[in-house]
Amino acid sequence: MISQKNKLIPIAVLAFSLLACTKGKLITDEGNLVPKTVKSDPSLPSITVNGSMFHAEAFGNPSDKMLVILHGGPGSDYRHLLNCKELAAHGYYVVFYDQRGSGLSERYSKNFYSIQVMIDDLNAVIAHYRTSPAQKVFLLGHSWGAMLATAYINQYPMAIRGVILGEPGGFKWKDIKDYVSRSRDFHFTSETLNDATYQDQFITGNENEHAILDYKFGLMATADNSEDSPIGNEGPLPFWRAGAVVNRALFDLGEKEKPDWTTNLYQFTTKVFFAYSERNRAYGLDHAQLVSSAYPNVQLEKIDGAGHDFISFPAGWTNFFPKALNYLNSL
Amino acid sequence: MKNIKYCLSIAFLLPAFFSNAQTFNWGNAGNDPRHIININVNAEYAVTYGIGYNYKLRSKLPIILNAEYSFPSGKNITDDFKTRIGGQMDWAHVGNFHFISKVHGVFRRYENDYARLLNFGTDLSGVIGYYKSKWFIAGEIGFDKAIITHFRHSDLLKSNYPDIKDGWYEPSTGGNFYYGVQAGLTGKKFDVYAKAGKLTEQDLKTSPMFPIYGQFGVNVKFR
Repeated sequence: MISQKNKLIPIAVLAFSLLACTKGKLITDEGNLVPKTVKSDPSLPSITVNGSMFHAEAFGNPSDKMLVILHGGPGSDYRHLLNCKELAAHGYYVVFYDQRGSGLSERYSKNFYSIQVMIDDLNAVIAHYRTSPAQKVFLLGHSWGAMLATAYINQYPMAIRGVILGEPGGFKWKDIKDYVSRSRDFHFTSETLNDATYQDQFITGNENEHAILDYKFGLMATADNSEDSPIGNEGPLPFWRAGAVVNRALFDLGEKEKPDWTTNLYQFTTKVFFAYSERNRAYGLDHAQLVSSAYPNVQLEKIDGAGHDFISFPAGWTNFFPKALNYLNSL
Repeated sequence: MKNIKYCLSIAFLLPAFFSNAQTFNWGNAGNDPRHIININVNAEYAVTYGIGYNYKLRSKLPIILNAEYSFPSGKNITDDFKTRIGGQMDWAHVGNFHFISKVHGVFRRYENDYARLLNFGTDLSGVIGYYKSKWFIAGEIGFDKAIITHFRHSDLLKSNYPDIKDGWYEPSTGGNFYYGVQAGLTGKKFDVYAKAGKLTEQDLKTSPMFPIYGQFGVNVKFR
C-alpha cells in the first residue's frame, strides 16, 4: 500500500499539472518566435514573380548594370549580405531577394521544392528588375547561392555577363557532401553538437509547421560561430528568419538526384571571380581549385583575415570589396 | 477547454502509476534492498550523464519511486539538464513475463547563445519483459511530451528580431515517441544493464537530429 507520505507526491504532481494549464502563447503563430513573412506582413518590401511572393529590395539606379545577390543556406536570407549595397554607389543596380521558402519570403510544403523552381525564380527575379534587354546582368552568390548561380549558368550559359562566387560547397553532389561534412565536423560530446540536438525534446513540429521549424533551425545557427566551428567566422551572422523546410528539401533532393551543374559550364568563357577565405579550415585552396576548375576561365582569390561569411564581417568585406569591384568593372 | 481536459487527464494519470526512468530486474524485485543508486551514460538527444535515487515501496504490487538528474556533455554542464520524478510499477506477471508501467514528471532546461527554454512535461512508457533472477530482457515503448515551455531570448537574438515574444507557450510544444529493447545482469549488490532504441517525433514521420537513444547503467543496491 502507498503510505500517507507517498500520497503527497501525486497531489503535488496534480497541482503542478493544473498550474500548467495557464493560457500561453502558441509556437505555431507567426510573429511570436519568428517574424511574419511577406504573405502576412504587407509592410515588407516584396515582389510577386513565378507565382510566389518574395521578400526583395533593389538599390541604385535601375538603368545601371544589374547585380543580383544570392544568399546561402539553403534557407538563409540576404540580411547578412547587405554590405553589397555599397556596390550601388559604384554604378550597379543591386538586387536582393530571399529565395523561395527562405528569410521572409513565402513558405511551401517540402515536396514543392526543386532545383528547377529555384532556377526559375532567379530567372523571374532578373526579368522583374531588368529595365532593358541590353542591361548587363551579373550574379554574386555566396555558399549555396554560388551553387545556385552556377546551376543557373549551367542552364543558361549566355544569360549572364559575369559572376562572383564565394565558397560554393561544390557543383557536383560529392564535392558538396564532402565540404558540408567537413564544415559540420563537431565532436559528438561537444557543446556545439548538444546545443543543436538537445532542443528536439522541447520543440517538435510537423513538416508544414514553418514557424516552429524555422525557429528551431534558427537556434542552430549558433553552431557557425562556436569556437569549435571550422568555418572561421568572426561572430554571429544577423538573419531575419531561417527556412528549415527548403533547407531539408534541397538537401534531400541532392541525396536523391545527385546533381551535377558543370555539364555546360565550358560554354561560359567569361572570367569567373571565385573567392575563398583564409580562415575556413573546411575549405582551403585545394577545395577551391577542385570546385572552380569546372569553369574554363577563373580568377581565384583568397580573402585574408576572414572566414566563410567574409562578405558579412569588416575584415573580409574590406579585403573582398575592392577585388570584386575591380572584377565587375573589368567586364 | 480542450487544453484543460488534456491537462486534467495527465494530472489524474500521473498518480495512478508512478515509476522511474531507470531499468531494474523485476524478477529479483522481492529480494533486493530498498535503496538503489543508479548512474548511467546515455545517448538521449545528446550524449548525457545521469544519476538517480530509487526507493522500493513496501506494497502488494512492486513499486519503485525514483528521482533522476541528467545533463549533456559539453563545455557548459549546467546550461542544459533534465530531471525526472516518478516511478514504475510491476502490474502483473505470467510466469517470468512481467508487465510494467512507468510515469515520470519531467522538468528540463536548454540554453544556447540565442535562447533559454524551461519545460515541464511527462514521460509515459510501458515495458514487457522476460525476467529471471540473474538476468532479464525486455522491450519498451513510450512517449515523452513537452507540455508547457517558457522561452526567454538573449539580446543577441533580439537584435535580429526585436519583437520576439518571451514567456510561456502552450499547449504542448513538442513530443517524441520511443521504442527499443533493454537487457541486464543482476548481482547481489550491483546490476548492470543496457538499452537502445529509436526516437520519432509525434507526427510519426520526422526523426530528431539524434534519432536513436541508448543507455548503459549500473544500479548500486543497499538496505
